[in-house]
Amino acid sequence: MPEASKMKKPDVKLVLLGDMNVGKTSLLHRYTDRKFKDTVSTVGGAFFLKQWGPYNISIWDTAGREQFHGLGSMYCRGASAVILTYDVTNWQSLAELEERFLSLTDTASHDCIFAIVGNKVDLTDPKAQLSQDSSGVSEDQTEHEEERTEPQVLSSCPTPPASPASLSGITVHKQVAHEDAMALYGRILRYKGLEEKSSLPAERMCFETSAKTGYNVDALFETLFDLVLPSILRKRNENQQCPTIDLEECRGASSKRARFCC
Amino acid sequence: MERDGHQEGEGQGVIIRNPPLEINPPADTLATSLSLLGNHMFPDQVARDDRATADTQEPGELPPSEVPAQEQHLDAEPVSNQENQLETEETDNAECQNNESTETANGGTKDDAADNDQNDSGEFVVTMLAKAKLEEQGIGVKGRSSPLLEAGTQESPALMSHRDEDVTADSWRQHRKHIFVLSEAGKPIYSRYGSEEALSSTMGVMMALVSFVQSGDNIIRSVYSEKHTVVFLQKGPLVLVCVSSSRQSEEQLRGELLYVYYQIISMLTQASISRIFEHKKNYDLRRLLAGSEKILDGLLNLVDSDPSFLLAAIHCLPLASSLRDSLSQILQKAITTNLVFSILIAKNQLLTIVQEKTVIEDTRLEPADVHLLLNLIGASSAFQAGEIWTPICLPLFNPDCYFYAYISYLDPPECTVCLLLLSTDKEAFYAVADCKRKIEEAMCAQNSLSLIAKAQSYSVSQVGVSDLRHFMYKPFDVPDNYRQLTQFTSPEMEAPYSSEEEKMRLLDLYRYMHSRIHSSSRPLKLIYHVAERETLLAWVTSKFELYTCFSPLVTKACAITAITKLLRWIKKEEDRLFIRYPPKYSTTPNPSKSSRGGKSDQQDSTDNGFLSLL
Repeated sequence: MPEASKMKKPDVKLVLLGDMNVGKTSLLHRYTDRKFKDTVSTVGGAFFLKQWGPYNISIWDTAGREQFHGLGSMYCRGASAVILTYDVTNWQSLAELEERFLSLTDTASHDCIFAIVGNKVDLTDPKAQLSQDSSGVSEDQTEHEEERTEPQVLSSCPTPPASPASLSGITVHKQVAHEDAMALYGRILRYKGLEEKSSLPAERMCFETSAKTGYNVDALFETLFDLVLPSILRKRNENQQCPTIDLEECRGASSKRARFCC
Repeated sequence: MERDGHQEGEGQGVIIRNPPLEINPPADTLATSLSLLGNHMFPDQVARDDRATADTQEPGELPPSEVPAQEQHLDAEPVSNQENQLETEETDNAECQNNESTETANGGTKDDAADNDQNDSGEFVVTMLAKAKLEEQGIGVKGRSSPLLEAGTQESPALMSHRDEDVTADSWRQHRKHIFVLSEAGKPIYSRYGSEEALSSTMGVMMALVSFVQSGDNIIRSVYSEKHTVVFLQKGPLVLVCVSSSRQSEEQLRGELLYVYYQIISMLTQASISRIFEHKKNYDLRRLLAGSEKILDGLLNLVDSDPSFLLAAIHCLPLASSLRDSLSQILQKAITTNLVFSILIAKNQLLTIVQEKTVIEDTRLEPADVHLLLNLIGASSAFQAGEIWTPICLPLFNPDCYFYAYISYLDPPECTVCLLLLSTDKEAFYAVADCKRKIEEAMCAQNSLSLIAKAQSYSVSQVGVSDLRHFMYKPFDVPDNYRQLTQFTSPEMEAPYSSEEEKMRLLDLYRYMHSRIHSSSRPLKLIYHVAERETLLAWVTSKFELYTCFSPLVTKACAITAITKLLRWIKKEEDRLFIRYPPKYSTTPNPSKSSRGGKSDQQDSTDNGFLSLL
């Protein structure tokens, strides 16, 4: 049922959520345009289509501002993956994920996967500053990083939350440790009523990225794309089984709207 | 007047040197309270900095007192009124035209400075407003932190340039036009320059003025000084204040404040703002407007530089009528349920607009609503990537409900041609996005994009009237126009008005002419105005409103002949210059969901998350 409102073209839907100024648009820009540029505060939501092999992946980059909070559930409807984004230098941005954004994902697909992403890690972590801007190098890096996704996670774990800034004269204090994000991941699973054992492990679904340097950004999106593939295949099968799906979909969508109005 | 309590001790430092000429109690006590507040607000020297402000004057702008001498009125009424009298006529009780000055005895070190001729209330208020945050110096001047966030490190510097301004600096005070928005509780909501935190006590003073006058069953409208006009506008729970040295009329400035108000409404709706403040009087509205400052900044820049706002009319891009018609037909064909407006924009000017039939029978689309849409698009470069789906309220259409706007550029990466589709259905994104694909395909088939790329505004030389440098023509008689969008046409500003300063100077002259034509106390029909470097003629009839600018050597007779020729040229070209017959379509799906029903459908404001905040 949650897939019902989705239209023909995109095979799967991925949503970026998180407080304003955490860097959602920048992450997406970095991934799609290989660039980091100044963005302005997103209005409403921005829809992108990404070709991933033979599949069309739609990505909703949502506004983090409270002004648009009410739309969140609409953007999330039927989503197969939700990227909850926070700013590692801002504790409140992690807290907001739980307080404001988690409930929006109620309309997501039942098998929706969650990723928790701490952005702006270049401000706190010398390792993330090393990444290069040029796309040639970051292509290289992509593979490199994918291989070491887990080691990277592990290596940042031991960093005590209190004193990461002393590493190389970095001025910004890291307010959110990787463990905090992983703890939140656990709470999200519980909120969703999912078994921790049968779900994807926190180590795999908690990322620390830098849209500015490109650090870990490709790894984030590509990991998610790979993980939502089963969802695409399942949906394709459903569509083949039922050629009259369009009518069903329409009715499903409108009855759903009625439900949300009340 | 919550501040009155703790400043009695300082009261004796204030001397009201020139008591108000008209003795009316409210103004009198207001003056006292102004002084009291002022003294409370700036413990340091006051008047010295004023010198610097006093010397700044708009380049080339005539002092008002010289204007009547150079001006000849062609209309029948005899002209005896001096500019100054006009202004006085407009003064009402609540306006404090009283001349006063303050002397700060505080510290006793700046007595000399205080002797300066700081003898007008407006300047005084401005000074006071500027000085008010001295006591708060260091608070929030550097960066504004979102009220939601503890750490203020998240903002990107490029976004915050104006916000970072030091509000105690002279440069801050010399801005041509300040705009402030605050809540009735005196909470800062928006300031055009400088961060609201740093200005919170300044805004407190403004609110004190408003509520003091209110307590006397009166409404503060404006404060005049030699150099500044301070205009107040109260709209629901919001108070908007403009401090301007631009010499625009009070009516014009109030109109601009109204645009600011409408822009805020377009993002939040009037209903939700009232509801929020009903629940919580001291709510910090910046929570909801955070991130939208850029849109308000952009609006204010547009208001200053684009005559559309002054004329309350739409400027559409001149286009061969056959091309405009074919574009309209493309839009007309690509429709879906609940689609209400399809708008095509190039270079920030309207190409065509197609409207839903029944909706437009109910209410017409106001130019101001289109201006707000254009500003939203212009101010958000985020629109250049991807397809946007966002709620937006058209405040003049219906201030309490949302439309859902689909915004997408048709020519990436140049991003000059923008498609805007408005639906009443929140869930319609995919259906509306399909309309875009259809439009894209059709435009591709007809090669429309490259034809649009060739379209451009015209040069005044095409009119073929010598001595005519520029004009603005707003017709009232375009067929079908009275029920539709009010439009105007105007050529590019060319030499000698190619620099930004000169453009602004010409616009200021137009604004001056406009204020005379539309003066509430003594409206004029025709003005022939010999300015220093050009001659202007403004003329309003039942069929049009026209502003023309000639070279300075033109004679009155020449100007009249030129205007006749100009009007003939416009008549000949009007199919190209205006959207003559805005096309319509019908998308109301079933009787149960007519446009009316559709509109009220939108009032599911609980769905917009505002209540959850309270």
